[in-house]
Amino acid sequence: MDQPPPLAPGVLEALRQVVGPKWVLTGMDARRTYECDGLTGWRALPLAVVLPATTAEVVAVVRLCHQHRLPFVPRGAGTGLSGGALPTPDGIVIGLSRMRAILEVDLENERVRVQAGVANLAVSRAVDAAGYFYAPDPSSQSVCTIGGNVAENSGGAHCLKYGFTTHHVLGATLVTPDGRVARLGGAVPDGPGYDLLGFVVGSEGTVGIVTEVTLRIVRQPERVQTLLGAFPSVDSAGAAVAAVIAAGIVPAAMEMMDRTTIEAVESTMHAGYPDCGAALLVELDGPAPECSSLFEEVRALCQANGATEVRVAHDEAERARLWRGRKGAFSAMGRVSPDYYVQDGVIPRSQLPQVLAGIRDLEGEFGLRVANVFHAGDGNLHPLILYDRRRPGDTERARSLAERILDLCLAVGGSLTGEHGVGRDKACQMPKLFSVSDQAVMLRARRAFDPLELCNPGKVLPTPRLCGERPGIYRPHLLETAGVAERL
Amino acid sequence: MSTRPPEAGPLAELVGPGAVRAAGAADAIGDLRPSLVVRPGTALEVAAVLRAATERGWAVVPRGGGTTLLWGGRPHRCDVVLDTTGLDALVEHAPADLVCVAGAGMRLGALQATVGAAPGFHQRLMLDPPQGEDATLGGLVATRASGPLRQRYGTMRDLLIGAQFVLADGTVARTGGKVAKNVAGYDLDKLLVGSLGTLAVIVEVALRLHPVPPVSRTVVVEGGEPRELVGFLAAVRRAPVVPSLLEVLWPDRVAILRVDSSTAGAERQAEIAAGLHPAARVVDGAEAAGWADRGRGRPWRGEGLVAGVGVPLAAIAPLLEAVEREHQRGGPVDLALRGGLGVGEIRLAPDPAALERVRLAVEGLGGHLDLRRRPAAASDLRTTPPDPVARELMGAVKGALDLGGTLSPGRLGWAG
Repeated sequence: MDQPPPLAPGVLEALRQVVGPKWVLTGMDARRTYECDGLTGWRALPLAVVLPATTAEVVAVVRLCHQHRLPFVPRGAGTGLSGGALPTPDGIVIGLSRMRAILEVDLENERVRVQAGVANLAVSRAVDAAGYFYAPDPSSQSVCTIGGNVAENSGGAHCLKYGFTTHHVLGATLVTPDGRVARLGGAVPDGPGYDLLGFVVGSEGTVGIVTEVTLRIVRQPERVQTLLGAFPSVDSAGAAVAAVIAAGIVPAAMEMMDRTTIEAVESTMHAGYPDCGAALLVELDGPAPECSSLFEEVRALCQANGATEVRVAHDEAERARLWRGRKGAFSAMGRVSPDYYVQDGVIPRSQLPQVLAGIRDLEGEFGLRVANVFHAGDGNLHPLILYDRRRPGDTERARSLAERILDLCLAVGGSLTGEHGVGRDKACQMPKLFSVSDQAVMLRARRAFDPLELCNPGKVLPTPRLCGERPGIYRPHLLETAGVAERL
Repeated sequence: MSTRPPEAGPLAELVGPGAVRAAGAADAIGDLRPSLVVRPGTALEVAAVLRAATERGWAVVPRGGGTTLLWGGRPHRCDVVLDTTGLDALVEHAPADLVCVAGAGMRLGALQATVGAAPGFHQRLMLDPPQGEDATLGGLVATRASGPLRQRYGTMRDLLIGAQFVLADGTVARTGGKVAKNVAGYDLDKLLVGSLGTLAVIVEVALRLHPVPPVSRTVVVEGGEPRELVGFLAAVRRAPVVPSLLEVLWPDRVAILRVDSSTAGAERQAEIAAGLHPAARVVDGAEAAGWADRGRGRPWRGEGLVAGVGVPLAAIAPLLEAVEREHQRGGPVDLALRGGLGVGEIRLAPDPAALERVRLAVEGLGGHLDLRRRPAAASDLRTTPPDPVARELMGAVKGALDLGGTLSPGRLGWAG
């Protein structure tokens, strides 16, 4: 089975010399482990997988790639949902999973310096006892890496108040696609020159490999308060969201689930959610008196907008219970439907009722069910299209339906992706949002870093070769079926 | 470098004769006198002007409110000033989405008046730059200018969610969008913020707005040595207090804190803050307004050069000590620092030696210094350079977007 990969003579040996023979994987089974990320519909076998342990090793590996014109794909934990870490069959994967050191915890300056392979949650754990946390909280945070978060500009349920990865990264060490080492940003904001760091965050691993990151940590709030409102319909819950925003309240999180989702959650995990048309989960945090007064206001606004029941968490255990259904919604869906595809669209939040009505119409038109789970506060929708790939035509219909939902989002002034990224999955849909000249300028900026386009090629921007093919469809990832990671 | 001397004719054909004029003394950028001022009214006119200028080898400097033309460095050349104030239309204000879209030439004051007037809402762009209400939105993006409110709301880096811009070759492009949560495509917004008119002419911006909290309370600490004042800042960071501004003024020896919240929230946070230092006290009404005035526009009021400074939080006390030493030397010095962030601005005598002393002190503390208002004559003023490889990449970005060096050439000495 183990065919020697068609790498240029000497390259494999040189890679082994850099990282040690043990950390260059060429066997078929080993390479299979890396053939996809969390978007399992796209798969490709890399020629080899290299696992460096230091920035210096990454530099040496990248220089070899550059010298031999060998494409390479950086990879963290592989939990991404847009195929951003999909290997290229004519190149190698550079995995950062061995770079897991927390290099410095500097409480006095409220920052933490880590290697790129450190898990998101490990940062919060390292500073928890001192009363701090790392704010971005993607739902895969127990496994996803800081390097991957930087690549994707990850958000999470609490980014409504706290912002995204780009607001919490102070500095990064970037290995450029030709093997130079750039120190971007630093310990202090507003470093001299262009904000290259801001460009690198969210560039989906296409302009170099980030090996070390300096993160801002945030003081834990004095108080956290959580409620779950039961509404007769998504429209009434949407009206409550609008009322909260109009009242000038910025909750830490504001999440909505529709009836299909609630039923799935109840039938599989018995979260104890009320039987209702839509559930709205609102969490506020901050200084105690402010938090409490705003919380009462939110509760009143829910009731004024038709909530039939408002449940308030009185302790951490009750809070965890209210969140349980929300956090388990995706895996619950995997149990009530053989297959599902998760869409990641964004709309201006005021357009919520209109877009949800449009999705209902599409359900009828395509004969497929769509469960809606979303970050209502920032208009980030995650419709789950339920289908059965064993039924002829279902996969095709699900794919078309997912695209039509995205079209609805774009028609009201939204975006292609709020947090999962473009990756390979949506590269061919970029023209729906960006003109030819928009994309051309993006390509010029990308080539300033990587003129040979060796670094994660075929991602983010469409190419004629790639976009003749059909986009992939979601199948549950190993980590997800194992319950290690969930997707929000 | 100009292949032909700039002339109004070709530009007048593109934008109409009323939108082109000969430059006057008021259009000078320091001691640099441009030939023409052109004021386009649309993105396409901007594109036509830039294409024409690039073809002819003319250097173009974009100008909004004209309040920060000497940030960075003086451009080497300027044939044409591209005045963006004709691009001042409000495109959209969606109060329920806390978003607005406006022409880059719109003045900050005009925007605040418009978004503040939306019935049923109370929101604004949370930016209070020392340049005041005459600054344009595009200029605020290009300079990343901000004021005390940065403590809570950040700079344009945090508020800009989308932009339309024009490259020197006339390419018109968009980045981002009009939703705050958005990871589609490369974040070119970040390259525009702080680019000082060297990468593109910004023609339209989409901005995130914030609700205005109903109640404000101000707490002031006066007097004491740097370490005592910094003790207050550190205590605030550890306390359940979320200040909208936490401003340190030196040599005033003053820290001003303001919380904006619900009624109960503001009262309680002010009480807590006032308990964190023996000299801290809550101030009300006219006195609070007086303190707000005292902080407004600092340190730009008064003569001299102005530099941006940033140091790690743990280095704020030594920074204040260095500023105090400058003060003891008798030179004019004025520091306004965001006390919870370690960034701010300092005004000094227009004397390279004074700047050099402060720069070395700041860099020694692990920080950086850049120049924002420079004396007209001085040319040998040194600022903190970027990392060498980052600097090469910045040059590559400049080359990728403005190959011919049309836009504000030489303003960023190291990137061309």
